[in-house]
Amino acid sequence: MNQLQMDFNLLTVEILMATLGLVVLVLGLLIPKNQSRGIAYFTTIGLVAILLYSVTMQWTKAEFLNGMYLIDPFSTLFKQIFLLTAILVSVGSYQFMEKYGHNQAEYYSLMVFATLGMMVMASAGDLITLYIGLELMTISLCVLTCFRLRDAKSSEAGIKYIILGAMSSAIMLYGLSLVYGMTRTTVIAEIAAAIALDGVSPLLLLGLVFLVAGFAFKISAVPFHIWAPDIYEGAPTPVTAFLAVASKAAGFAAMMRVLLIALPDLFVHWNVMIVGLTVLTVVLANLVAIPQTNIKRLLAFSGVGQAGYLLLGIVAFTQLGVGAVLFHTLFYVFANVAAFMVVIAFYNETGSDEIRDYTGLAVRSPLLAAVLLFSMLSMAGIPPLAGFVSKFYLFTAVIDQGYVWLALISVLMSMVSVYYYLIVAKVMYIGKPADDAKPIKVSSGLQIALILCLVMIFAFGIYPAPFTDLAMNVANTFFTP
Amino acid sequence: MLQQYAGIGVFFLVAAIFPIIAIGAAWLVRPKKPSRVKLDTYECGLETQGPTWVQFKVGYFLYALVFLIFDIETVFLYPWAVQFQVLPLFAFVEMFIFIGILAVGLWYAWKEGALEWK
Repeated sequence: MNQLQMDFNLLTVEILMATLGLVVLVLGLLIPKNQSRGIAYFTTIGLVAILLYSVTMQWTKAEFLNGMYLIDPFSTLFKQIFLLTAILVSVGSYQFMEKYGHNQAEYYSLMVFATLGMMVMASAGDLITLYIGLELMTISLCVLTCFRLRDAKSSEAGIKYIILGAMSSAIMLYGLSLVYGMTRTTVIAEIAAAIALDGVSPLLLLGLVFLVAGFAFKISAVPFHIWAPDIYEGAPTPVTAFLAVASKAAGFAAMMRVLLIALPDLFVHWNVMIVGLTVLTVVLANLVAIPQTNIKRLLAFSGVGQAGYLLLGIVAFTQLGVGAVLFHTLFYVFANVAAFMVVIAFYNETGSDEIRDYTGLAVRSPLLAAVLLFSMLSMAGIPPLAGFVSKFYLFTAVIDQGYVWLALISVLMSMVSVYYYLIVAKVMYIGKPADDAKPIKVSSGLQIALILCLVMIFAFGIYPAPFTDLAMNVANTFFTP
Repeated sequence: MLQQYAGIGVFFLVAAIFPIIAIGAAWLVRPKKPSRVKLDTYECGLETQGPTWVQFKVGYFLYALVFLIFDIETVFLYPWAVQFQVLPLFAFVEMFIFIGILAVGLWYAWKEGALEWK
């Protein structure tokens, strides 16, 4: 038997994350509950430090435990995406947690552990490791979802998330076990080799169906999206932002690794399913978003739609496709978290998530209105914002593979999305604020985060070269073993 | 290849039919003399006290969870202890990190009052 490869230096980022999570938890035990404000700042600083450290591992490509855990540019970029989201969400949580929260240490510690779970998912080179990462993420997020005690909606969302999360995990686990049964291995690289040798069997296809369904749950693709709007609406808003961005990105990271690396020989089979999911997701999500009156539900459906666009990159099954998914995910972090931070700031002041209460936001807080407007326009894909560039790459990737009709549907539905995004813009800019409406105060930390997001949305759109180069170079290393 | 699964298929069929036949046959031949005592809810031979559809205290589950963590700790500790003589120093340190993480968990549960019966 080969000697096990155990170079723990490769795991520094994960070890640091686990340490940070535990230290935050212990700090919460030591510091009296009414003085726990510092824990929030400590978490943000810790996450920023880990993000900076992860840059030193940007191009490291190595295996841990003989291929069961992979450190490659692909997983590192995804880890940075999770860290970025966690940083922005932790900044967005300060005021919210102080006003509505309790046990701050647990909140931030669970957030760190959920991020760690996502990192394990992105790096997993083994189906069981992948599943452990998935569960660490899901269970942490379950607790975060029902973090508002005595709030019926939050509890309801938590219970729904537990039940649906358990169900989707069971479906995925069944798929994983069938794949293991047919290939006699759980290591992703060996699965591809085993399938190349043994050929495709009916049971393996059944496993594939379960796997795709399980992943579709995690990325909330139609028709497996039913959980998303309810849970997004009920969860505390910072948690919603985290769910909508990071957990979806983690689902995509794992899905790409399994479909593109472990099961490339089943391409003809999973391609049909993914194309079907893409069409359903892009069409349905954008149409259902139109009549929404709650901003969180609107953003939930727009997020479901974004998952549909991301699926295009998987349909293409090329380096360009993978690169486009990476680029779109990176931009999506800034756009979506920015939109949710505006929702958080608005809720802190007014206690409302209804779109009609956003009337005249441009007068009450020009910054909030501008950030929400530009992040939404960017998600709709209006040039010169980031969303235009990333959608351009995604559509090019599928057109290269001959799916002109698929790109056409996506472009059409992008136009539909402009409509419901502009409804919100109209309410904010044209509507007159109520007479008793006060200006909305935004804390300086949140202001900095909002402006950073705004700058990034423009930077990605006007000068995308450095970011596309990064995404494409990472995609180049993805397919080479 | 499908023939390899024929055995499992037959097994499933037998598994489905056998209990139906067994319970059906018993139902046909058994004497039927119900009485009040026989139809009572079974509760370890005692007479039932009050309604049985009550909510259980959440404390039971908290205890069970805390217990489970240390149950699993034993699963890991046992093979480690058996092989202790031949394991390198690294395994020793590693196990203490593991126990340390569990200890933080216990400390948390203790501080939050999960071990108090209220």
